[in-house]
Parts: sequence; structure tokens; C-alpha cells
Amino acid sequence: MARRPIDATQWTAFGLGGLAGAFFVGLVGLFVWQSLPVFRHEGLGYLTGTVWSFRHQRFGALPMIYGTLAVSGLALTLAAPVGLGAAIFTSEYLSPRWRLPVKGAIELLAGVPSVVYGLLGAVVLREVMVDVLAPFEPLSGDTLATAGVLLAVMILPTAVSLADDALSGVPKDLKRAARGLGLSHAQTIRAATLPIALPGIAAALVLALGRALGETIAIFLVIGRQDGQWPERLLSLAPLTGAGQTLTTKLGGAETHIAYRDPLHWAAIAGLVVILLALSVGISVLGSMLAKRGPR
Amino acid sequence: MRRRLLDGVFSGWAAACAALGLALVVGVVGLVLVRAAPAVSLELVLAPSQGAGAEGGLRYQLLGTLVLAAMALAVCTPLATALALLQTTFLPPGAARALGVALACWNGLPSVALGIFGFALFTQELGWGKSWLAGGVVLGMLITPTAAGALAARIQAIPARLIESARGLGLTRSQVAWAVQLRLGARGLVAGLLLGLARAVGETAPILFTAAVFSGATLPRGIVESPILALPYHIFVLAQDLPSPEARERLWAAALLLLGVVACFAAIALRLRLGDREEGQHAG
Amino acid sequence: MVRPAPLATLVAALLVAVPAGATPLRVVGSTTVNPLVSLAAEALRAERGLEIVVDTQGGSSGGIAALGEGRADLAMSSRPLTPEDSRRFPGVRFEPQRVALDGVAVVVAKDVWEGGVRALSREQLRGIYEGRIRNWKDLGGPDRRIVFFNKEPGRGTWEVFAHWLYGDPKTAPIASHPEVGANEEARQKVATTPGAISQLSFAWADAERVFALGLSLDDGTVVPADLTTITNGTYPLKRDLLLISNGPPAGSARELIDYLRGPRGRPIIERLGYLPLPAGKGEGSR
Repeated sequence: MARRPIDATQWTAFGLGGLAGAFFVGLVGLFVWQSLPVFRHEGLGYLTGTVWSFRHQRFGALPMIYGTLAVSGLALTLAAPVGLGAAIFTSEYLSPRWRLPVKGAIELLAGVPSVVYGLLGAVVLREVMVDVLAPFEPLSGDTLATAGVLLAVMILPTAVSLADDALSGVPKDLKRAARGLGLSHAQTIRAATLPIALPGIAAALVLALGRALGETIAIFLVIGRQDGQWPERLLSLAPLTGAGQTLTTKLGGAETHIAYRDPLHWAAIAGLVVILLALSVGISVLGSMLAKRGPR
Repeated sequence: MRRRLLDGVFSGWAAACAALGLALVVGVVGLVLVRAAPAVSLELVLAPSQGAGAEGGLRYQLLGTLVLAAMALAVCTPLATALALLQTTFLPPGAARALGVALACWNGLPSVALGIFGFALFTQELGWGKSWLAGGVVLGMLITPTAAGALAARIQAIPARLIESARGLGLTRSQVAWAVQLRLGARGLVAGLLLGLARAVGETAPILFTAAVFSGATLPRGIVESPILALPYHIFVLAQDLPSPEARERLWAAALLLLGVVACFAAIALRLRLGDREEGQHAG
Repeated sequence: MVRPAPLATLVAALLVAVPAGATPLRVVGSTTVNPLVSLAAEALRAERGLEIVVDTQGGSSGGIAALGEGRADLAMSSRPLTPEDSRRFPGVRFEPQRVALDGVAVVVAKDVWEGGVRALSREQLRGIYEGRIRNWKDLGGPDRRIVFFNKEPGRGTWEVFAHWLYGDPKTAPIASHPEVGANEEARQKVATTPGAISQLSFAWADAERVFALGLSLDDGTVVPADLTTITNGTYPLKRDLLLISNGPPAGSARELIDYLRGPRGRPIIERLGYLPLPAGKGEGSR
């Protein structure tokens, strides 16, 4: 095939694409570069240390990594069953006339800005969670669990929407065949539809998890922002009923505004961004791979 | 009999989940409405703030938010168009798939990371200080994958025979892109842009570090040292620093106003998408 | 499809049409000083057309950092400057100007106050801060766990508190507590959490939702926290509210400082619950 000359449109498209690529190479590069001093100072202890105190030049990010994973994990645990159930309802039980409005209404939750969720959390959810967590005697309503519940509400629409897409993408003749064999509607869903839609549903949940991971403002006011919180026994759930800190809430806090001229302190902040980016990209790639295996 | 019972439980659970989802929507929006109601007035939207945010309106917060949206749009449109064309038309299949993964990663990036990058790059290294332009650029970069994805999806829905016919007539790839893909994909692009803007106007973290201040700014002037006010930042600061208990209602009203702005963008996008659906059903 | 064009035109018009006049005065820092400055700024804008932009990210330390990095013209600070600040920003000539006085109160929630805890000593506060004392009943109060909301270490209020407890804030031990940032956030959390205690600007202690404890001095005397004891100096946690500039303040900065120190500033200061500077000490930077 003869090589055609590249024209202006293609030039522009590739140029802009390259610009975007350069932006992100620059972003990752800058943070990695700026974070080097703290790795020199703490070594791997930066990732495994549990004490963070910039006044004492101690930087250990482990409690924040734990906080991020715990809060997102809790959010997914709460949102996944509800999201899946709602998606099954909208894609399998609702007539086409009702599916769009109901699905759209739930998707409205996704449009609510994080700062409004933050406000609702600080004023309403905090008080509720003190009562909900009463058996565990929390010190206040500022807990990792509160943040997890708030995030669950935030990521529910993502889970519902994408899971509904996955379920609706299952070929109709497969469902008809199952019904033809005598399976009831619910049996068809469980035996035929769900297994085929599973990769797409998994992708939906992974992407919802990714969204929870990166959220800052919504949980900033309800998480307590306490450093050093880390479970004493590995699988203990007790820290969830106490205050904590995530990578994002530390980054959104005051230290980012005072650290820039202190190379070590800023390196610690940049390092947190690097960890956060690694988690986020990992989740996105996983979600991408799962989505590809779904039904087209 | 038992089968019917199990089936009933199953469908009941699914219905309950959907009901919970709907209840949450009603609850969230309803809470904001109820608490904001006493303070809602035209003055709130039109007048400038006074009393360190305790009194007055939200005029410059609203304007600042719209300025940021305009800048984000200016940044996002060419980038999203370029990326969508690359993915659907100009790149070979392997590279296009890789770009798809890259766009998915981009879409999942935490906004706080982009905000801090803007802080390090624009505010500090370039010496711009707080600049509306920096905030707009960061927001534009934030929403580009949304718009690019929407346009790419729309382009991929174009029947292949249209593209083949155009190529058959001797048009180059680029000419086909302008005549077919972009012309037919335009609605998808606009819908994607509006959805992206609906997200951008509500974001706090990107502008917290780069563009927004709490009081005193009006319209932007120049690029360097040119901060603006913005609704999400205003709400975020007041949620932590309310000057008086009476101001609480105004805070909820600001939240309601922000919801209103988001709803405007989303509603127009929704109308466009519904229009597409009708088109798709007729064309087939 | 024409939508992007008009918006792009709007952006271009904004860039060109709005004249790039004098850059606004940028004031950043403490949430304690913020209400004073914001109200004064509004008055100055209305009367003299001055453009003053105010922000509070990072508290007192954030303001000083912004000033040192050239991102602000005035830093609002509720703590004194330290050698650490000069070390971090070697090229900067910090010039602090007092505009008002304030106390740092140790506030508790209603149930603690009504449960009998009215004053604490330095030793007891150290015990709470370091986590050795965990229940109010060990301090003569109700049987309830102590919930200590620690002000972020960058905050001026925290520094004044740590200075009284440990002499030098740098020697304060590492403590793990839930953190609060702005004054209002601290007040909100204490007011809504039984057993809560935190550091707070005295002007924010309203004696309705949160209650300011007295301090039990080393010699045994108990000093209540009120305007009298703060003014006459018997209450130890007292601090200047500062506006700090890089080099001598000039132009709008000078006007703002003079406004707050002058007769127009006094009613603002008093209305907000702070203390005006003692008469005759209005001039000078210390």
C-alpha cells in the first residue's frame, strides 16, 4: 500500500496527542523526581513506616495507604451488592420505558459534586454514624467507616450504570434459549446472564473502586485526619471505627500548602502523590483489561 | 412453589436495591433543598459577597465558576477531538488499543494529583501564583478523557458503509474525518463536553491549589496573579470556617446553586443523548 | 457544533478587555486573623477601591510560606515568627505588624463543662496531649473518654498552645490525634462531640456551644479565660495577631494595617471578640 503524505489534520491530531502525552510524562516525572529526597532519607521505611510528623522529619506513609485501601474497600463492599442488585433490576426487570428514567435518576447521584457530599457528611452523616457505630464506642463521628459509607453512596451510581451496561450487553438469544429450556426469569439471570456479564460487572466494580480511591474533598471533613492509625492485628477492623487518614486527605490538607520550600517535606508530599498515582493507574489498567473481556 | 419463592426473593432483593438507590438520590438532593430553602433568593445569585462570606450573594463565585468552565472547554475541545480521531481513525489497531487503556487511566486519575501538579508547575515553578488560567487548564485536562471517550464512542457507532463510501470516492483519511466522523460525531462530542463540564464545575481539589481564593477577587485580569472565586471552593472553605450560625443556610444555598449549575450542563447533555437514541432507532 | 467558538471568544475577550490594572493585594494565612482582614478589606474596597484578595489555606504557617515564596504580600499570623521561618526563607525580611490581640482558649464540650471540669493545669494538658490521661473522670469530670481534637501543627493556635506546654513547639512530642484545621471546624467538632477538647481562638469560644477552661498555673492559682485576664496578662495563652510583610509595608498593605490599627478598626476588632491593641502602642512593629 502506498504511503500517503500526512496532512495538516493528522499533524494536528498527532501533535495534540503528543502534547497530552508530554503533560502526563511531565506530571509523573515531576512527582517522581521531587519525591527522591524522602526515599533517600527514609529508604523503604517511607512505605512501611507508621509515624508521620513533619516537625520531627519522620515520614511513614503506611497508615495512609492502609486508610486509602480500607476506606475504598469498605465503600466497594457496601456499594457492590446494592449496585449489582439495582443494575439487575433496571436491566432485567424494568420495561424499556422505565429503565432509562430509573437508571438516570440513580445516575444523578454521580453528578453531585464532592464538596456537597462533604458538606452532607460533615453536618448529617457524622451524627448518624455515631449512633450506627455505638456498639463499637467510637470517639466521634469522624471515622474511616464514615468516610467509607459516604464513598459508597458516591460510587453507587458508577457501579449501577456500568453493571447495567454489562448486563444489557448480554445477547438476547442466549436469554431466550434459557427461557426456552424452562428456566424462570430469575434462574435465567443467575445461570445465563450474570456469568456472561461477569467480566463487565467486575470492570464496573473495579472502576468504582478507582473512583473511591481518588476522592479527597468528600471525605476530608469526616475522616478525622489522624495520622498513625494502623491496625495492631492485621485483619482487625477496629481502626475503621476510629479516625484515620488517607493519601488523598493528607494531600488535600494544610501540609501541601506549607511544604514547598522544604525539600524533604515536599518530597514526602510528592511521594504520596506517586503512591496514589501507582494505585490509581493499577486499578484503571485492571478495569480496562476486565472490560475488554466483556460481551461487545 | 419453592422455585417461585426463591425467584420472588431474588426479584425482591433487586427491586429493593433499586429502591435504595432512588431513596439515596431523593435523600441527597432533598436534604440540600430543605436546608437551602430559607436562604434562596435572587439576591443570592446576583449580589456580591459581604461580611467575609457571611452575607450577600454569590455573584463572583458564580462568575468565577463559569470562567473556569469556559477555559476548561477551550482546553478540552481540541484535545478531545484529536484523541478521539487518533483512537478511531488515525492510529493502527494496536496503538489505538493502547491509547484506549491510556485514556482509561487518565480518566481515573485523582483530581487532587492534577491539582497539586498545577500548583507545582504553574503556581510555583512558572511563578503564576493563583491564576484562573492555571485552574482552567487543570480542569480541562481533567475532563478531556470524558469528552474524548464520548466522541470516540459516537464515531464508532457510525455505520462502516458510510466511511467506506467516502473513502471509495477518493477522499483522504483526514477529509473523511471532517466530512463524516466529525460531522456525525459532533453531537457526541458536545454531549461529552457538557458532561465533562458538569463534573468540572463541581471540582474543588484542582482549583484549591491553583486558582481559587476565598474573598476579594472579582473578574480575572491578565494571567499571572489573577485569582478568582469559585462556588465549590467557597463551599469547602465555609464548611470549615463558617463565620456565624446564621450563615449556615447561605452555605446550603450555595450548595444548591452549585447543584443547579451542574444540573444545567447535565440536562443539556442528556437531551443531546436522548436525541441520539431516537436517531439511532430510526436509522438502524 | 458552534458552541466552542463563542465561549472561546468570551475567554479571549476577558483576557484583553479587562484592563490589567494594579495587581491586587494578596493576603493569606490564619483563620483567626481572617475575619478582621476580610471585613477591613471590604470596607477599603467600598470606600477607596482597593483590591484585596484574602485566602486561608494552610493557616498561619501557610501564610508565612506564601509570603516567603512570593505568593502573598501579607501573611496573616496568629503566632510569632520563629528562627525556623527565617531559616526556611533566607532572602526574606519578615516585618510583623500587630493589629490586635487574642487569647488561645482550651475549649471543651458542654457535657465536660457541666460535668465539673472548669480548669486544667499544664501537667494535665500534657497528659492529655501525650495520651496518658484518657478519661475525664481522672480529671474530676464525668466518666467519658477524652476526645482531643488537635489543631494541625501548622496552625498559629497550635503553636501558642505547644509553646506553653513544652517551651519550644519543636520539642513537642509526636502525638496522634484527630486533627482540625480552621477555628470553626474545631468549634463545630467540639460542640457536637461529647467529651471533646481542643485549642481554639478565644474569640470563638462562645460559652454556649463550647466552653473555655481556666488554666491552673504552676503556683496553683486558677486563671479563668476571659477578656480581663487576657488583657491584663494573667492568662498565659495570649498572642498578637500579626500582619507580616516582606520588607516595610507599602501601598495597599500599609493602608490595610493602618485601617485595622486605627479608630475604624477598633469596632471591627471588638465586634469579632478580639482585643484591640493597648492605647499608645499602635505604632512600631513589635
